[in-house]
Amino acid sequence: MAVTKPEVLAGERKRAARGTLLKDIARDRYLYLLLLPGLLLVLVFKYMPMYGVVIAFQEYNIYKGISGSEWVGFDQFTRLFHSPDFGEILGNTIIISLYKLAASFTLPIILALLLNELRSKLFKRFAQSVVYLPHFISWVIFSGILITFLNPVDGLLNMIIQRFGGMPVDFLGDVRYFRSVLVISDVYKEVGWGTIIYLAAIAGVNADLYEAARIDGASKLKQTWHVTLPAIRPVILILLILSLANILEAGFQQIFLLYSPLVYDVADIIDTYVYRVGIQEANYSYATAAGLFKSAVAMALILSVNAIVKKSGQEGLW
Amino acid sequence: MTPISGGERAFNAANIAFFILLMALMIYPFWYMVMASVSDPDLTASGGLFLLPAGFSSTAYQAVFQNVSILSGFKVTIITTAAGTLIGTFFSAGMAYAVSKKRLRGGKFFSLLILFTMLFSGGLVPSYLLVKMLGLIDSYGAFILPGAIGAWNIFVMISFFRGIPDELEEAAKIDGANDLTVFFRIVLPLSKPVLATVGLFIAVGYWNDFFSSVLYATEKDMWQLQMVLKDLISNTSQAISQAGISVAVQQQVNPFTVKMASILVSSAPILAVYPFLQKHFVKGALIGSVKG
Repeated sequence: MAVTKPEVLAGERKRAARGTLLKDIARDRYLYLLLLPGLLLVLVFKYMPMYGVVIAFQEYNIYKGISGSEWVGFDQFTRLFHSPDFGEILGNTIIISLYKLAASFTLPIILALLLNELRSKLFKRFAQSVVYLPHFISWVIFSGILITFLNPVDGLLNMIIQRFGGMPVDFLGDVRYFRSVLVISDVYKEVGWGTIIYLAAIAGVNADLYEAARIDGASKLKQTWHVTLPAIRPVILILLILSLANILEAGFQQIFLLYSPLVYDVADIIDTYVYRVGIQEANYSYATAAGLFKSAVAMALILSVNAIVKKSGQEGLW
Repeated sequence: MTPISGGERAFNAANIAFFILLMALMIYPFWYMVMASVSDPDLTASGGLFLLPAGFSSTAYQAVFQNVSILSGFKVTIITTAAGTLIGTFFSAGMAYAVSKKRLRGGKFFSLLILFTMLFSGGLVPSYLLVKMLGLIDSYGAFILPGAIGAWNIFVMISFFRGIPDELEEAAKIDGANDLTVFFRIVLPLSKPVLATVGLFIAVGYWNDFFSSVLYATEKDMWQLQMVLKDLISNTSQAISQAGISVAVQQQVNPFTVKMASILVSSAPILAVYPFLQKHFVKGALIGSVKG
């Protein structure tokens, strides 16, 4: 008896646990009902494509489907890594990303500091509204604006250049200028929106610190350097880390709408390559391999970044 | 207040001047398009618009509103945006509410399932093949369903729902309400701010989407507005000749002014609601960042 008793108890506990589990599920049935439609969409449109990446290890044939297509192991990846395109698209992706990072990481901080110095509340609010606005305008419309203004024949910018005696420049068709156009137009569109988080962080800085600095005779510039910037450093760090983790996102829509074969050498990134090779040329397996390479590296980056942040004693991303 | 030093005054003046210049730079492209779109087509052909319109003509706008592709693009985009925003907002809210309840069995698993979609995605080609396999090509489903649920929105909502006091729910339950009535009668009305914020972000996403048309629309009459615009921007004269514009207007139409007018007309809805909703947009960006 003494031997079997614990087993009986464990069994009973298990049965009881199963009982409460079922009871809990029955109790929360309406919660599961609320969860269900969204869950279905997530499973179908997020998880099915994750399963779909297995075609990167196949020679996918659209008529045979995943189950009927031939498995080829890592052949697609070997082909990808040995292709001359690979170095170019990876290089372009990282270079464009780093250029954008350099500009779009520093400028919003400076702009937020300047906005914060505006004395008139009304003017400040108005300035904010105006600089946030481009964020909500689509890249299609922005590309239309850029194409119009930069047109080598009758674009406004080239008319100004010509009036000052210069030669017209084909900004969107010249490998020397294309990346600058990408970076500048990206900054133009997003710099204002990028200030929001910094402005909130600056507003949260303890006013006593400024008071103390002022009593010590610190100038505005010194207050900014010794009070504001150190206070918002955690926010700056988190945003920097996040953008480093997103290094393989070079801005697909923008490039897709602005580039042309003339500038593929400097503008073709992983995403545009996957679209052209995968969708337009229907090399499904090969393009999926390129896409999977990108997703896998991106995931590894964000996981290691989060681990490093947590190890350094800061709060992680999750 | 300590007296303002001369240096500080100079800085303030320079700062204001800087922002006036920056705002001018941000507004000018839109002003330029307004000028170009209302100018006399014959006068703009010679170029040289800078600060003021040349003459006045409404032919560009007549051409836009008679253009069947633009009208059809508006139709497709309005249906997509309305249905997508509704589905996206309410399905996300339902999911977020269920997961926000700590007592829910499997809640942790479901939230991990959502989180993982932020870390990894199947990518373009498998998503495209899936939509194709489901038979959604040239249907609204292809524009609406794949992007309806976003992990970010769900986490924003979860953190909001967790802030609603449990007592409200308990009191309603004592009065005989179940989770569904609590959700619809109590939680949703209390959550208007977060619903507005998330809904707006979703709506802007649908309104600005063109790439779904690139992927999933083979018929031109299923093109979203932004896709029609993209086509118009890259080859204006052709797009205009295809559309059913009356001959009278067609004769005096200038592709350039029409292009400008179409861009303005299609961004008008966002420009019109933006000033009123800016507060929500900003709040959304902040909730998201705090959560992150």
